[in-house]
Amino acid sequence: MKTPPASGSMRDALYEAPGPRTRRRVAIGTAISAVVVAALLALVVRQFAVTGQLAPRYWSFFLEWTTWRFLLQGLVGTVEVALVAGAISLVLGLLLMLGRTSGVRPLAAVCRVVTDFFRGVPSLLLIYFFFLVVPQYGIKMPSFWMLTLPVALAASGVLAEVFRAGVNAVPKGQVEAALSIGLSRAQTMRRIVLPQAIRYVVPSLIAQLVVVVKDTTVAYVVSYPDLMQNARVLITSHDSLVSIYLVIAVVYVLINFAINQLAAVVSRRTGAKIIR
Amino acid sequence: MTVNAEGGRPTPIIELRHVEKHYGDLHVLRDVCLEVDKGEVLVVVGPSGSGKSTMCRTINRLETIDSGEILIEGEPLPQEGKELTRMRAELGMVFQSFNLFSHMTILDNVTLGPREVLGMGREEAEAQAMELLARVGVAEQARKVPAQLSGGQQQRAAIARSLAMRPKAMMFDEPTSALDPEMINEVLDVMVELARGGMTMVVVTHEMNFARRVADRVVFMADGQIVEQAPPDRFFDHPESQRAQDFLNSIKGH
Amino acid sequence: MGLAELLGTYGQNYLDGLLVTWGMTAVSFVFVMAIAVLVTVMRVSPFAPLRFVGDLYVQVFRNIPGVALLMIVAYALPYLRVILDWRTCAIVTTILLGSAFGSENFMSGINTIGVGQIEAARSLGLSFSQILRRIVIPQALRATVLPMTNLLIAVMLTTALGSQVPMTPEELTGVVSYVNTRSVGGILAFLVSALGYLATAFVISLAGNRIDKRVRVLR
Repeated sequence: MKTPPASGSMRDALYEAPGPRTRRRVAIGTAISAVVVAALLALVVRQFAVTGQLAPRYWSFFLEWTTWRFLLQGLVGTVEVALVAGAISLVLGLLLMLGRTSGVRPLAAVCRVVTDFFRGVPSLLLIYFFFLVVPQYGIKMPSFWMLTLPVALAASGVLAEVFRAGVNAVPKGQVEAALSIGLSRAQTMRRIVLPQAIRYVVPSLIAQLVVVVKDTTVAYVVSYPDLMQNARVLITSHDSLVSIYLVIAVVYVLINFAINQLAAVVSRRTGAKIIR
Repeated sequence: MTVNAEGGRPTPIIELRHVEKHYGDLHVLRDVCLEVDKGEVLVVVGPSGSGKSTMCRTINRLETIDSGEILIEGEPLPQEGKELTRMRAELGMVFQSFNLFSHMTILDNVTLGPREVLGMGREEAEAQAMELLARVGVAEQARKVPAQLSGGQQQRAAIARSLAMRPKAMMFDEPTSALDPEMINEVLDVMVELARGGMTMVVVTHEMNFARRVADRVVFMADGQIVEQAPPDRFFDHPESQRAQDFLNSIKGH
Repeated sequence: MGLAELLGTYGQNYLDGLLVTWGMTAVSFVFVMAIAVLVTVMRVSPFAPLRFVGDLYVQVFRNIPGVALLMIVAYALPYLRVILDWRTCAIVTTILLGSAFGSENFMSGINTIGVGQIEAARSLGLSFSQILRRIVIPQALRATVLPMTNLLIAVMLTTALGSQVPMTPEELTGVVSYVNTRSVGGILAFLVSALGYLATAFVISLAGNRIDKRVRVLR
C-alpha cells in the first residue's frame, strides 16, 4: 500500500502489504491460476475447432463491407428505437414521479400503481401486450411503435423511481428556504427542486439507457429491423449461426459497456451516485 | 526483566531504528529513532502532517516502512503470518475514529479478540469484558451496537476492547480528535487512569494539558522527523528548537 | 372474452405458468447466489488472472441483452455439441445474467465496509481468514439483503425469456402468447399474467424489507 488509504477500492484494502512469504504465495497462486485460465480457454477453442466452427467460411464474410453495412443498418434501427423509447420514458417517468409526489391523494395513488406495474412485469410481457393484445381492439400500429412503446413504458417505471430518489436527495432546507421566500409548492418544485434533482440523476439516466438497449433486442417478435433482427437475416443468408450470434453479442456488450462507462465517468465528475 | 547485553539497561518495549517511509514523492518518516520503555507514557505532538500518526501506525505494521528497523521487546516486528498476528495481539491500538465493529454489540466487540485470538471461553471473556466496560464507565451500553452510543462512549468502549487483549503496550492515534469538546475529558480521564496503572503508552494527540499532566516524555515531530524529545515541563517551558517554539506559540492562541 | 370464460378455458395454463415461473425463479436464484459468491471470491482474490476473469464475467453478463445470450445458449451451443433442453437454456441464461448482478451486489456490500473496521481487527491480532469470517462477510451480507431482494425480483422477470423458446408447460409470459394465438384473450389475458408477477414481487419485497430491518447495520 504505497498510496494513503481512503482512495482505492476495498478489495485492495482487504489485504495488507505482503511480506516475503505472502508475496511468494501470491506469485505461485497467480502462476497456477494463469495456467488454469489458459487451459480452460484452450478447451473452449478446441471445442470450436473440433466442431468445425473455426472454418473460414463461418468468419470470412465479416471481412466484407456489405456484411457490416447491413449490420450497421440494423444498429441504426436499434439506436432509433432506443433514443425514442428513452425520450418517451424520460417524460413519462418524470410525469409519474410528479404525480406521485404531488400531494393529491388519488393522483399519487394512480401514479404509484402505474409505476409499480411497469417496474414489476417483464418487458417481454409488455411487448406481447402491444403485439398480440392491442391489435385485438382494432388498433393498427407500425412495428416501430409496437417495439418502442413497451420498451418506453418498462423504462418509465424505473425512471420514475430514479427521479423520486433524485428529488429526495435535494436537502429539505432548499424547499424550506424556497417556501419561506413565498414561492408556491409548484414553483418550488419547478425552480428549486427539479433542477437540482435532475443534475443528481443524470448518471443514473445514462445507465438506464443500457436497459433500454437490451430491451430493444426482442424486435424480432414484431419483425422490426434492428441489429438483432438483421443478424438473424444474416444467419440465414450465410448459413452461419455461431459466429454471427457471437459477434453480435460482442457488439451489444461493447455498446452497453461504453454507456455504463460514460455513466460512471459522469457519476465520478458530478459526485452523484448511480441508482438502479 | 530482560536486560541488554551491552548497557545493562532494560530492553525497550518498542524501539524504532532509523525508520524511513515515503508516500510516493512525500517523505513521511525521516530517520526516526525512538525507544519506549516499560511503563513509560510517551506523548507525540507536532503539527498535522508531521508523520506522528504514521509513526504510530508503523509500530503494529498497519503501515509498512521502507527501511530501518522496528523492534518489539528486542525482537524485530514480524512481516506476516502468525508471528505478526501474535505480536499485534500484544499491542493495543486506539483509533481516532473508534472503529468499533459496527455489526456487533459493544460486548461482542470486547469479547471478539479474546475469544478468537486468545482462545478464551465465552463466559470468561464476557466476565472480563463486563469488568472492563465498567472500568471505563460504559457497562450499561454493553448490549447496544456502536451507532447507539455517543462518540465518547464509543471511544471508551474501544479502549476496553484493546485492554481485553491484556496488551503490553497501547498506542493511541489521536484518540480525542473526532470527539465533541464535552466528550474529550471522559476519554482522557480513562487514559490518565491507565497511565497511573502503569500501562506503557504511546499517545499521538493535540491535547497539550494531557501531555503536561501525564507524559513521562514528550516527543515533538515535524516534517517526518523527531525534532526534540524532553520531559513535559522542559519541553513546554523551555523548548530547544525553533520549530518546537513556533509550534507551541501557534497553539497558545487556542 | 370475460374473466370467467378466460379462466374457465385457460385457468390451468395460467396456474401451470405461475408454478413454472416460480420454479424457474427458485432454481435460478440458488445458482445465481452460488455463482455470484464464486465470481466475487475470484474478483477479490489476490491473483490477477482470477480477478481479470471475474471482472470480465461481470462486464460481459451485465451488458449482454438477455435475448442475445438466450440465442447463443439455445441455438449456438448445440453446434458446439453442448445440447440443453429448452427450459434449461432459459434457466442457464437467467443464471448467467443474474449472477453478474449478484456479484456486483456483493462487491458493493464489501465496499460499504470501512477500512477502519479491518484495521481495528488487524490490531487485535485477527488473522486474514478471521477478519473475513467475523468482519467482512457478516457486514457485506447484511448490506446486500435489499439489493439481493431486488435481484430476486429481477431474476423472476428474466425467466420471461422462457417465452422465447418452446417450453411445455410455458411460463407466465409464454401463456399470454399461447392464449392470444388461440383466442381473442384481450387485455384480461395479459393482466392475469401481470398480476402473477406483481403479486409475487410484492411478497418478495415484503419479506426482503422485513429481513433487512432485522439485520441492517447501523452506522
